[in-house]
Amino acid sequence: MSSLASAAPTAVVRGTTTPPGAAARRTLPSAATQRAPYLFIAPFYLLYVLFMIVPIVAALFLSLTSWVGLGTPEFVGLANYGNLLGDSSFWTAAGNSGLYVLVAVVLVVPCSLLIAQALNARGLRARDLFRVTYFVPMVVSPIVVALIFSMLLDTEYGLLNSFLHAAFGLPGVDWLTDPSWARASVSFVLLWRWVGYLTIFFLAGLQAVPRELYEAAELDGAGPVRSFTTVTLPAIKPVTAFVVVTSFISAAQLFDEPYLLTGGGPGESTLSLAMFVYRAAFERQQFGYAAAAGVLLFVLVFAVSQLLNRALQIGRAA
Amino acid sequence: MTAATVTSPARPATPAGAPSSARRRRPRGTSRLTPGRVALYGVLVVLLAVFVLPLLFALSGSFKPRADIFGEPLRLIPSSVTLENYTNLLSSQPFWSWFAMSVGVATVATVVSVFVCALAGFGFAKYRFRGKRVLFSVMFSSLAVPFAVILVPLFVLLVKTGLGTPWFALVVPWVAPAFGIFMMQQYIVQSVPDEILEAARIDGCSEFRTFLSVVLPLLRPSLGALAVWSFLQSYNSFLWPLVIVSDVNHYTLPLGLNILFSSENRAIDLVLPGAVLASVPMIIVFLLLRKQLLEGLSAGAVKG
Repeated sequence: MSSLASAAPTAVVRGTTTPPGAAARRTLPSAATQRAPYLFIAPFYLLYVLFMIVPIVAALFLSLTSWVGLGTPEFVGLANYGNLLGDSSFWTAAGNSGLYVLVAVVLVVPCSLLIAQALNARGLRARDLFRVTYFVPMVVSPIVVALIFSMLLDTEYGLLNSFLHAAFGLPGVDWLTDPSWARASVSFVLLWRWVGYLTIFFLAGLQAVPRELYEAAELDGAGPVRSFTTVTLPAIKPVTAFVVVTSFISAAQLFDEPYLLTGGGPGESTLSLAMFVYRAAFERQQFGYAAAAGVLLFVLVFAVSQLLNRALQIGRAA
Repeated sequence: MTAATVTSPARPATPAGAPSSARRRRPRGTSRLTPGRVALYGVLVVLLAVFVLPLLFALSGSFKPRADIFGEPLRLIPSSVTLENYTNLLSSQPFWSWFAMSVGVATVATVVSVFVCALAGFGFAKYRFRGKRVLFSVMFSSLAVPFAVILVPLFVLLVKTGLGTPWFALVVPWVAPAFGIFMMQQYIVQSVPDEILEAARIDGCSEFRTFLSVVLPLLRPSLGALAVWSFLQSYNSFLWPLVIVSDVNHYTLPLGLNILFSSENRAIDLVLPGAVLASVPMIIVFLLLRKQLLEGLSAGAVKG
C-alpha cells in the first residue's frame, strides 16, 4: 500500500509526457467498447440532471414567483429581481461576499504559495510534519472551528483579550461584536482554515518543477526573486489556476463561517450572499425571493469562473 | 619502510579527505544552520503554533470545570482536571445518536461516490467517444455551480416528492461530485497503462469486468484519497443538513453541536467535549491516511 502511495507523485511528473488517448487509437472499436464509456459516465449524468439541472430550472421558475412555501406559487415576473436590486440587505451581503472573495484570492492564495515555497526549501527537516499539521484545520468541522474561535475571541472571557490585557494591559477588543472587527475575524478564520489546504496544491506543483530549470536560471545570473518570477510562476500556472478558481467559488458561496461565528452580525455586517438566500427562504418563507437571489449568485459565480477558466486554461484535460 | 614513514605524514590524505567529504555532504544536508535557515524554521514553527494552539486550548478546555473554562482561559494545562463535562454531555444529550447518524451517512455516501467517480473517471480517461469534450467540460463546469442556487429548489423538490428523508437527502444528491471524477480521471490517465487494458480485452474481459478487476485495484492509493475527501465533505457538511433535517432524532453531529452552541446559556462545557469527540476520530483517520490524501488531492491539479 505504501509503495503504491509513493508512486503518486512520480506519476504526476511522468503523466505530463504521456500522449493522451494512446490506447484508444489502437483499440478495435467493437459495439460494446463504443457503448461502454457512455454507460460509465451515465450514473454521474443521471444524478447531475436530477440534482443539479432540474433544481436550477426550478430555481429559475421559482424566482419569477411569490411563494411562502404553501399553496400555489403566484407568478410575479421579474419583480423579485427588481426588489433585490433595491434591497440594501442584498447589497450589504453582496459587498461582504465580495470581501470574502477578495480575502481568499488576494490574501489566502498568496499566503499558501509563500508557505509552500518555504516548505519546498532544499533539505528542509520535518517537512511532512509541517505540511500535515497545517492541513488539520480543514479536517475539523466548521462548527468546531466556530466554537473554538468564538471562545478565543470572546470580549470578556476570551483567550485573546485576556492575553492582550495580561501582556500589554490593553483594554478588550470586540472581536465579534464590532462590525469592522467582526469582518476581520471572519476573514481570519477563513485564512486559518484554508491556507494549509491550498498549500498542499502549491507544494505539489513546486515539487514537480524540474531542478534543472532553476540551475539554468542561476547560471544565467538570475537571483531568487527573478528565478521565482521567470521559472516558478510559469511552471506552476496550472496549479495556480486551479487554486484561484476553487477558492473564488468557495468564498463566493461562503456560509458556515459567518453563520456560525457571528450569525451574520452584528447587524448585517458579516452577512454573506448564501446566508441571505438561507434567511429569505427558511427564516422568512420568501421562497421566490430567495430563489432569485440564488440565481443572481449563480450567474455571477458561473460567469466569472468560466472567464477565469478560459483565461487560465484549465479543465481541458479530456 | 623509511620512505613510507616519510611520505605518509606528508601526504595530507586523511586531514584533507574529511573536510572534503563533509563539504560534499552539506548541500544534501541536514545541519547547515545559516541565519536564513533559522528564520525559516522560526516562521514555520510559529505557524505550527497558530494552527495547533487553538485546537489544544479546546482540548484542554474540555477537561476544565465549567468555572475554569471562563476563569482561566490562558492556562493550557488545566489546574484541575475533570471528566465531568464528558459525562454530562453523554448523559444529557443523544451524542452517540448524532455520531452514528453522521458516520452512517458519510460511510454510505463515501462508498457509493468513490465507485461512481472511479467509473466516470475511467470512462473519461481511457475511451474516445463522440461528445467527450463537451460532456467533460459540462461535468467540470458543474464545479462552478454555487450550492446556494440549488438549495431552495432542491429542498422544495425533495420535500414535495417525499424524498426529504435524511438517508436519501443527505446521501443521494452528493454521490457524484465533479471534483472526484476530475481527480480520478487525472490519476487514471497518469497511472493506468493502456497495455493492461489491451491485455484484458484480448483475454475476453468485458469493459465493466476490466474496470472491476484490472483498473480498480490499480487505483487503490487514489481511491483512499477520494474516500477520505468525500467522507470529510459529508461528515463536516452543515448547511444542507441544517435545511433538510427537521427531525431531532436524525440530527447529525454538526446539527447537534449547533443546537447546544446556539442555546441561551451557550453550553460551552457541553459543546467542548462534543467538539473533541467529534474531531478526534477524523484527525486520527486523516493522520493515518495523510500520504494518500495529500498526494491524491494535489495530483490532478498539478497537471491541470
